[in-house]
Amino acid sequence: MRLLNKTLVGAFTACVGFGAAAAYADDIRVGITMRMVSENGQAYGQMMMDEIKGINEAGGINGMMIKATLMNDECKSDKGVANANKLVFQEKVHLLIGSSCSSVTLPIVDVTAKAGVPQLVPHSTNSKITQKGSEWIFRIPVSGRYYGGVNAKYVGENIGTKIAYICAADAASVGDCANLEKQMKARFGVEPAYRADVQEKEVDFRAHMQKIKSMNVDGILVAALAETMARALVQSYEAGIGADVRRIGSSSASNAPVPKIAGDAAKGVFFAAAYAAADQRPIAKLFNEMVKSRYGIHAPDHDFSQAYDLVRIMEIALKNANLTGSLADDRTAIRDAIANVKGYQGLASGPISFCADATPQCRDGNRTAVLIGYTKGGEDFETEVIARVTMEEDFGLE
Amino acid sequence: MAFDFNSLFAFIIFGVTIGVVYGIVALGISLIYSGLDIVHFAHGEMYMFGAFFGLVLVHNIGLPYPLALIGAMVLTALLGMAIERTFYRRLTRAGGGYTVAGMGMIICGFGMSVALVNVAYFIWGAEAEPFRANLNFIPRLTFAGDIEVPESYVLTAIISVILMAALHYFLRHTKMGLAVRAVAHNKDIAYLMGINVPLMISLIFGLACGLGAAAGVLIGPMQSVQVEMGYLMLMKAFAAAVVGGFGSLPGAIIGGIMVGIFENLGAAYISASHKDIYAFLLLILVLMFKPSGLLGIEAKVKA
Amino acid sequence: MLQINNMQAGYGNLRILRGINMEISAGSIVTLLGGNGTGKSTLLKAVSGLIPLMEGSISFDGVDITGLKPHERVRRGIVQVTQAKEAYPAMTVEENLMLGAYTRKDRGAIKADLDQVYEFFPVLRERRVQLSGTLSGGEVQMLVIGRGMMAGPKMLMLDEPSAALAPKVVLDIFGNINRIAKTGVTILVVEQNVRMALILAEYGYIIRDGVIMLQGDAKKLISDPAVKESFLGGSVADTSKILHN
Repeated sequence: MRLLNKTLVGAFTACVGFGAAAAYADDIRVGITMRMVSENGQAYGQMMMDEIKGINEAGGINGMMIKATLMNDECKSDKGVANANKLVFQEKVHLLIGSSCSSVTLPIVDVTAKAGVPQLVPHSTNSKITQKGSEWIFRIPVSGRYYGGVNAKYVGENIGTKIAYICAADAASVGDCANLEKQMKARFGVEPAYRADVQEKEVDFRAHMQKIKSMNVDGILVAALAETMARALVQSYEAGIGADVRRIGSSSASNAPVPKIAGDAAKGVFFAAAYAAADQRPIAKLFNEMVKSRYGIHAPDHDFSQAYDLVRIMEIALKNANLTGSLADDRTAIRDAIANVKGYQGLASGPISFCADATPQCRDGNRTAVLIGYTKGGEDFETEVIARVTMEEDFGLE
Repeated sequence: MAFDFNSLFAFIIFGVTIGVVYGIVALGISLIYSGLDIVHFAHGEMYMFGAFFGLVLVHNIGLPYPLALIGAMVLTALLGMAIERTFYRRLTRAGGGYTVAGMGMIICGFGMSVALVNVAYFIWGAEAEPFRANLNFIPRLTFAGDIEVPESYVLTAIISVILMAALHYFLRHTKMGLAVRAVAHNKDIAYLMGINVPLMISLIFGLACGLGAAAGVLIGPMQSVQVEMGYLMLMKAFAAAVVGGFGSLPGAIIGGIMVGIFENLGAAYISASHKDIYAFLLLILVLMFKPSGLLGIEAKVKA
Repeated sequence: MLQINNMQAGYGNLRILRGINMEISAGSIVTLLGGNGTGKSTLLKAVSGLIPLMEGSISFDGVDITGLKPHERVRRGIVQVTQAKEAYPAMTVEENLMLGAYTRKDRGAIKADLDQVYEFFPVLRERRVQLSGTLSGGEVQMLVIGRGMMAGPKMLMLDEPSAALAPKVVLDIFGNINRIAKTGVTILVVEQNVRMALILAEYGYIIRDGVIMLQGDAKKLISDPAVKESFLGGSVADTSKILHN
């Protein structure tokens, strides 16, 4: 079956790394730790390695090769921190890329801040990541604080204000829940109609759904990682909550397992994301085709687009950095070069810009979210773009 | 806010519907414990394999759900018997007949659990698979106060009760069931009765694994199917078995239902974000006041 | 009927039986006598097949059964009555008895044997739906003997049927063993109660330290000075009279 394939690809990418043959003294060392447990995870990991290989084959960074090491943290904090320590102190990387899950990225921020290593965040959305005051952190995805505003505006104006919240305990979902709750209160002065804090991998939502059903809410926020969210969606229909009650997804709703596992229950679910496969721009269409032909992925989500944008931004910054051969100086130079990236236009729905201050305003470089709705669930799911919103730099900050 | 008796009632009903599933897995663990004197740590994986077999039978072979349930039980029973014959039997023998072989058996169970998860990973991959079953033939129950119990939960409860009743009938009213009980109590005497003890041990193991598989096929449509699903179920079923009294078959079911109710009430009235700990809280409470478990009155006499 | 040649057996590396030779002819009552730890129970286990032989062979009805599993020996008619404590306490009296008939399929004959057991031991009929764990010591002993009868044995082996029982109960039980023998079943009784056993049996073996020390007609053994000295005291005439009535 196909999974043998998956496993082999994973094993190779994890072990072999890239560029061993071309390694010489002037390599730029890049370490990557990400969640690569799913089919998608292994594909976007592979895609990053392939893109870096492409940069090297085209002549590298001002003649220097990038030597990338890819590690899997399985969305587990302990593994992520161990990976980061290994990459920073043993591999002595110039730049660390990581990670996918917010709960993994949060502790890694402390590792890179202490060691003085620039860190590019590929996927994590939790607002706190850039609020720790580290001058080494840069976030490619849209911060949860922006998503909260986008969701609240749309929900309050188009769906209603009587919303039930189901919040799983993973860092991203906790953040997504808190952000929507805060924005709903700020904009419309409403508290959640019902709120259930459930376990990260909860399997049984029946009692909550029963309760929500009896409350006649306008919508249900399901904030959870993909598989947990899919289970909650299925069980909401099983409990007899009709399609007229809109299901709002958290940031993980963009992950392919949601429509795949939830099936028909995914239809009508909408969520804010950084990238929509239904985007009509030529660059998006080319990207979708590339991912499909190279990795066999149907409709890439923003985990792919962000990984891709990250490599491009890294390429720009490395080319602009004045590298001298001293590890500490080079790390600082790369950090400053990333801070100088302005108005990058890539797959992200809006431009990405960073600046030098160690503040969320400077380091949450991507402020444009797109609201996406599933029009069909299952393996061959379909989406539509509902709206595109750019937020103010200091939106959602205290 | 006034106390809402309707939702209390709903929490209890849902607790029971999931509790009976814990119960039938715990029943398997207790059967193996009383029959083979081993605590089977890989039983969660039997549940997981059962769920996957059911999924394959429904999705790939196109069997209707009830047939897939039976098919998955048979396949998992055969798998379990093969594992018992090939791996466990040597160990139980090394321990001196079929008596407690101690640490070796426990570690072997853990190892088997890891090995089976990896085998499943190679076959089905790490991603959760949706299990779409047509359950429209089951009625939706409505209780007082507009509590609706969906088809899949009704089905779970009905099938679990049927399985329990069937097992009870088998053990209490058939000759082979009598032999199973004899083997469970004392293998040497059972041998002297002319019972083919090794065959009965295989049968016990197969039965227990078949029960685990049934739980997997029942839970699959609700929770999707994943290679790592066995661990949590094993923990809950262990808690159920211990709460009810380890080795006691009615105790396993009562323990399962108690764990189901207790964790639903805990999630509802204390906090839902640590739902999995309630099973163990209950376990500790029961052990504090009745160390042998609720129905663990009859001290087992082992030769 | 049963022939044991140079039987050596034990547990692990411990050799308890060190070359036993015995012969039991069909329809006879034979007793095996010895103190604690002399190898009596080991010998029964070896004949039943619960422990393998280290050396030697066993044949039954002229067929070598050395390699057969216990349940296969039961099917051939070698039935061991376990010690009284080894009834199944969580099963009813009748369930215990039916378990004895596990290898048999002829319902009519099973029913007839059940009636015979109840006739031999009327107290079991009274207690048929009671859990056997609630029976008295003597009643459990009757139960395990009855359970042995239910197997339709050719040879019944009894492991210390008099253990821990009051003399009156012992008499009753031995009387019934005699009745079973009269139905044509070969009997091997393992006993510490030497006097009772030798009165019941026709032939006796005395085992010590895993070897047969002495054997002969029961009547001769009773009067044998060596046996008398080590095992017996007092007169046996009165009990003999009661038993053979």
